[in-house]
Amino acid sequence: MKTYLLASLTLLLACCYVGIVGITFADHHEAGEMEMLVFPEKYKPMAVSNGGTISGVVKFEGDKPEMKVLEITKDPKVCGVTEKYDESLVVGEDNALKNTIVYLIDISQGKDFDKEAKLEIDQKECKFTPHVQIVPVGQRLTMLNNDRVNHNVHIFSKINRPVNKQQTKNQKKLRIAAVKKAEGPVAVECDIHGWMSAWIAYVPHPYFAVTNEKGEFTLEEVPAGTYKLGYWHEACGTNNETPVEVTVEAGGTVTQDFTLKLK
Amino acid sequence: MRIRTIALLLILFGTLAVFSPADAQNAPEASERGKEVYEDSCAHCHGVEGRGDGSAAENLLPRPRDFTRGLYKIRSTEAGQLPTDQDLFDIITEGMPGSSMPEWETALSTDDRWQLVAYIKTFYPGFKENETPPKQITLAGKISYAEQSVEIGKELYVELGCVECHGNVGRGDGTSAPTLEDSWGFQTWPANLTQGWTFRGGYDTEDIFKRFIGGIAGSPMPAFEGDSFLNFGLTAEESKRLIELENRDEMTEAEEEESGKFYEKMDAAVDIALTIQEGGEVSAADIQTYNDAMKIVYEKSWHLANYVKSLMPEKRPEPAIGNNVLRSQYVQGALPAIDDAVWETFEARYFPLVGQVVIEPRQFNPTIDGVHVKSFYNDTEVAFLFIWDDRTHTTDETDENTGKTLEDALAVQFPVKVPQGPTAPKPYFLWGGRLPVYLWHWKASMPEQVTELTAKGINNAEVQEVQGELEVQSDYTDGQYKLWVKRALKTEDKKDLQLEPSVFVPIAFSAWDGSNGDVDTKRTMTSWYTFVLEPVPSSRRFVYPPLIAILSVGLLFGLRAFVQRRNSEEV
Repeated sequence: MKTYLLASLTLLLACCYVGIVGITFADHHEAGEMEMLVFPEKYKPMAVSNGGTISGVVKFEGDKPEMKVLEITKDPKVCGVTEKYDESLVVGEDNALKNTIVYLIDISQGKDFDKEAKLEIDQKECKFTPHVQIVPVGQRLTMLNNDRVNHNVHIFSKINRPVNKQQTKNQKKLRIAAVKKAEGPVAVECDIHGWMSAWIAYVPHPYFAVTNEKGEFTLEEVPAGTYKLGYWHEACGTNNETPVEVTVEAGGTVTQDFTLKLK
Repeated sequence: MRIRTIALLLILFGTLAVFSPADAQNAPEASERGKEVYEDSCAHCHGVEGRGDGSAAENLLPRPRDFTRGLYKIRSTEAGQLPTDQDLFDIITEGMPGSSMPEWETALSTDDRWQLVAYIKTFYPGFKENETPPKQITLAGKISYAEQSVEIGKELYVELGCVECHGNVGRGDGTSAPTLEDSWGFQTWPANLTQGWTFRGGYDTEDIFKRFIGGIAGSPMPAFEGDSFLNFGLTAEESKRLIELENRDEMTEAEEEESGKFYEKMDAAVDIALTIQEGGEVSAADIQTYNDAMKIVYEKSWHLANYVKSLMPEKRPEPAIGNNVLRSQYVQGALPAIDDAVWETFEARYFPLVGQVVIEPRQFNPTIDGVHVKSFYNDTEVAFLFIWDDRTHTTDETDENTGKTLEDALAVQFPVKVPQGPTAPKPYFLWGGRLPVYLWHWKASMPEQVTELTAKGINNAEVQEVQGELEVQSDYTDGQYKLWVKRALKTEDKKDLQLEPSVFVPIAFSAWDGSNGDVDTKRTMTSWYTFVLEPVPSSRRFVYPPLIAILSVGLLFGLRAFVQRRNSEEV
């Protein structure tokens, strides 16, 4: 009886503690901490022949939400040319959910990165494009400034070294050093224009895709086998607890759709 | 200041003798003692687990540091590096001005402070994992303060975009200031560069330089690093030329080619900087190129540091006490208006403001440093000029928590009746009590108006029936308020204070920064200070001394004549 009481008391205390910590740190940077991507411990690149394809559509469950208009508090002549929207939840036609990362959680070997792919985030009219960018570990990201105003690029990494660099109106191009460790997604912000927001995922293998405005994603050249398929979305969270298993046959195509709701 | 420096040096040498370190990494092994001191003195704010979430944390701005992310603002080390042990020791010893972090030199022994350094480091595993000591910023190439250097710095201040947050003249009133957040999502204000004494890590030129090169980790202030510095790899002249080309609407073919060459040169230099940062291999020639380019970054940083230094007085002004009281100067004829150049010729008195923490709701995190005051009077009127810095011009903002309307404001407080003699009781400094006070209350939403109040307590103020006795002008420019008030020395209203020359009158101030949540009792304020209408220099000083001189001379001549006559009679 005593043991039971003690156990429940401990549990209660633990709950309180978690509650307090949760409240204290419920700010937007910390929120991402709970919802990280899951990476394999090791990944070995190899030649993939006759790989399969995983594709699908991610949809939003519920009524199509109205997009929140952002208040442009600064440099309206450049930033306010067109209306800016909060991109944390972009739902298109047929409830298509944009900016969802869909990826293989437990792949340990497969194709190498496409070293020629352009890794850029553009800053135009004080908005980051794309909103979600995949950056391979070991490769450099380039920030473009197409505005005639000053920006600063603030990447809130925790595992890798955080980045905070001024990119003045005269710096059209700013290259960011490659990172060594997989991490993310991490928040990218501009302190000068507080509404600007984007996400970077530093990834150790190339089986990551970000859904387009139709909610579509495709993972190609996947070696035949069974994998856990995960997703991450800024506003809808992850399926880290219950990833979907997919079996890819050599040369075959598997379709896996997702329907996400707000977390 | 000098005594403190010597004391610090002595302590430093004392510790050096005890720990005999090879470099700045001289903290002892973490021990039980460190934990004990930490939990006793630090955990209330920084939390038992070092997450910056102690019981007092919620009321503090800036927030207490979260030690678990290894982000330290005040360091002698390069960007992205951890602080040295000495850096941590110095911060504990000296505290952080402008924040709630006090100095611990008086409360904790040198040994205990070193034990703390060791213990604080256990909160972030990076300290243990890093085998090489952090790279320190070299101060060797310091460029001394000179007008020319300040001029170059001033140009850089604009080119690098410092104005965005720190404002046109550095008062921390840039257009991005109201939206800044730290790495934990808490609001943070850019430094007011004209008030060096509020800088967390000191305001010597070297301190300012270190904040540029190392950045202020966890804050929006970026570091000046090779891979991102504006036009890295170009000489100062080349950089200037490129900016000139880029700022044109269109470039000719020759100019395109010229700028193209600059871009190639910059690309190559940045590539080396990135490779070094990534830990890749670079040739000896590359290192030379990098060092040459970094030399220019360092030079520009010294110029900018000199410029920032030029924005502030050498030290914090002395408060207006002792012989330093607020003296209103007599002038004949009309009193100068708000924009009259005469004000510039006259030195202001400085009244430091502190947060009101006696009555709820309190202000623990004040943003207004102090108010500067000047005054002139003539035979019938007195005029005051009040000057204070406020990063934002707030006239109508709604408090998210209370729903109250927030706005900037200033109140000037006098007793209704001047205490007779220096030992006679003054009214309670918090807007009076048994003895009432007479107040001038100015609000930013009504910039040309001052309301006269009579108060018998902070929550017991009454608007006087007779209003409109004050003439008011005000201005807000580049993060600074100017308020000009003129009143007759004598009024008909019995509830007003009546003024006459040579009488020492208690005076006190309250200020509200709307964007900092100041409203009602939540404000910054002063205790009683003293104000006097400097007595009119008497015109009799031009009459009596010459008269006495003439009389004395006359007397001497008379005496001489008398003696001469008597002598001649004797002969």
